[in-house]
Amino acid sequence: MTNDKLIQVKNLKKYYNKDTIHALDDVTVDVNKGDVMVVIGPSGSGKSTLLRSLNLLETPTDGEIIFHGIDITKKSFINSQGKKERVNINLHRQKMGMVFQHFNLFPHKTILDNMILSPVRVLGMSKAAAKEKALRLLKRVGLEDRASAYPIQLSGGQKQRVAIVRALMMEPEVMLFDEPTSALDPEMVGEVLNVMKELANEGMTMVVVTHEMGFAREVGNRVLFMDEGKLVEQGAPREIFENPQHPRLQEFLSKVL
Amino acid sequence: MNNLITAEGFEKTFNFIKLIQQGLVVTVLLALLTVIIGFILGILLAIMRMTDIRPLRFLGQTKSGKLRKNRFLVFLSKFNPISMIATIYVEVIRSTPVIVQIMLIYHGVFGLIDLPSFTFFGFISFERFLPGVVALGINSGAYLCEILRSGIQSIDQGQTEASRSLGMSKVQTMRHIILPQAIKNILPAIANEFVVIIKESSICYTIGVRDIMSAVESVRGAYFIIMEPLLVAAALYFCLCFPTSKIIAYFERRMSRGDKR
Ligand SMILES: Nc1ncnc2c1ncn2[C@@H]1O[C@H](COP(=O)(O)OP(=O)(O)O)[C@@H](O)[C@H]1O
Ligand SMILES: [Mg+2]
Repeated sequence: MTNDKLIQVKNLKKYYNKDTIHALDDVTVDVNKGDVMVVIGPSGSGKSTLLRSLNLLETPTDGEIIFHGIDITKKSFINSQGKKERVNINLHRQKMGMVFQHFNLFPHKTILDNMILSPVRVLGMSKAAAKEKALRLLKRVGLEDRASAYPIQLSGGQKQRVAIVRALMMEPEVMLFDEPTSALDPEMVGEVLNVMKELANEGMTMVVVTHEMGFAREVGNRVLFMDEGKLVEQGAPREIFENPQHPRLQEFLSKVL
Repeated sequence: MNNLITAEGFEKTFNFIKLIQQGLVVTVLLALLTVIIGFILGILLAIMRMTDIRPLRFLGQTKSGKLRKNRFLVFLSKFNPISMIATIYVEVIRSTPVIVQIMLIYHGVFGLIDLPSFTFFGFISFERFLPGVVALGINSGAYLCEILRSGIQSIDQGQTEASRSLGMSKVQTMRHIILPQAIKNILPAIANEFVVIIKESSICYTIGVRDIMSAVESVRGAYFIIMEPLLVAAALYFCLCFPTSKIIAYFERRMSRGDKR
């Protein structure tokens, strides 16, 4: 595990409803290369908001998100030649894969087309090369025979595995998971967690919001506990689960473990 | 006026078969051109309503690009003239009767312009036909705009988020993800709008367009019978509208089958 900072989150705030709801309240945290950072906390504590802010699906009210040395919450930055340049959020998003609770596959496209759309349209990859790559990835998750199926024909677990490899098609530097197993029937949770575990073992940087404490303990190298928009406690899984400091974390763990 | 329906009445009506045929052609042309104008206008209006060009946006932001606290400035920064114009247009059209709109456009707008008076296809008077088409197009543009917009908004937000998270731009997302799904969802509403346009075009006889209804009026003027020509008109409108909705329903079924294959 290196200590290269991939994403730096500085004093991030996200307020809703005329500033009455503090979904994120001054969160500062770094995501290092190779981290498997697991974010836990009660419902409504701001886990999704934090994750979604990282690739600007939510626009922060205040604070900085520094990715590749650029504060992507700003409109422009000063490039290496000292010139002012616009922040191109599409460019940064390509490097951050995202997996959603409800899969969000494109229902009008086949599995294969779901996967090749963005590499072809955004990266300018040839269709043939994209197809080959997609089939290779599908094979890895045991779904090569479903390439021409439509999402509606797949089980939840299969959909989520497709969603993961669809994101991998873009060769992201970090993968963001927002409760990837929460919408699944219990018997399908394992197959998705296994794919994520493999990904982690290959060294992919991951930020995972989940209620699967087993995964956090086994796969995570850092655990963040959030409560009421604040980052209350963080540490190695062992510290967090075996020696929780903050009363809110103790209370939370007593409920979920 | 005799309100009994007689075979003789139908015979008299069919003395005007030529006029009725011409009326049918006019009605079909009116509806087709209205659909085209309405669609182009509807797309334009929908785009206008969904644009996010706010010239005063800077008023609501601090130098570093964060939202200001001052509510009045934030309110001003939300001013979006293009969207506002389209919204006003749509709401005015939807809240006034189509007959008033047609009269206003015929007398008010085209009353000020000298249209060349010629006929095309041998029997269609340009100076009556054009205002009719324009008025109907302006009317259905507002409705089609709302149909398109609701179709686009009915697509789950997660689709946009997934697409954007893959690095696709707003325009790419619209084109490859949102529109294909939205259009499929709104086909029934569009089909319904087609049928409404065919039926509503009958109002154009009030400004002297010689459509099916105008042929009915001619028969009435000549023979003082009303029921028979009206029944013929009803049959003709039915023959136009019913197959139209059935054909579109057929395509709709075919398209939704594609999904579940
Ligand atoms: N679009 C929104 N508008 C208003 N409040 C929101 C919105 N999104 C999230 N919130 C609020 O922000 C808080 C944090 O939400 P979220 O990040 O989704 O929590 P979590 O993912 O931990 O369950 C919650 O109180 C939620 O109600
Ligand atoms: Mg959440």
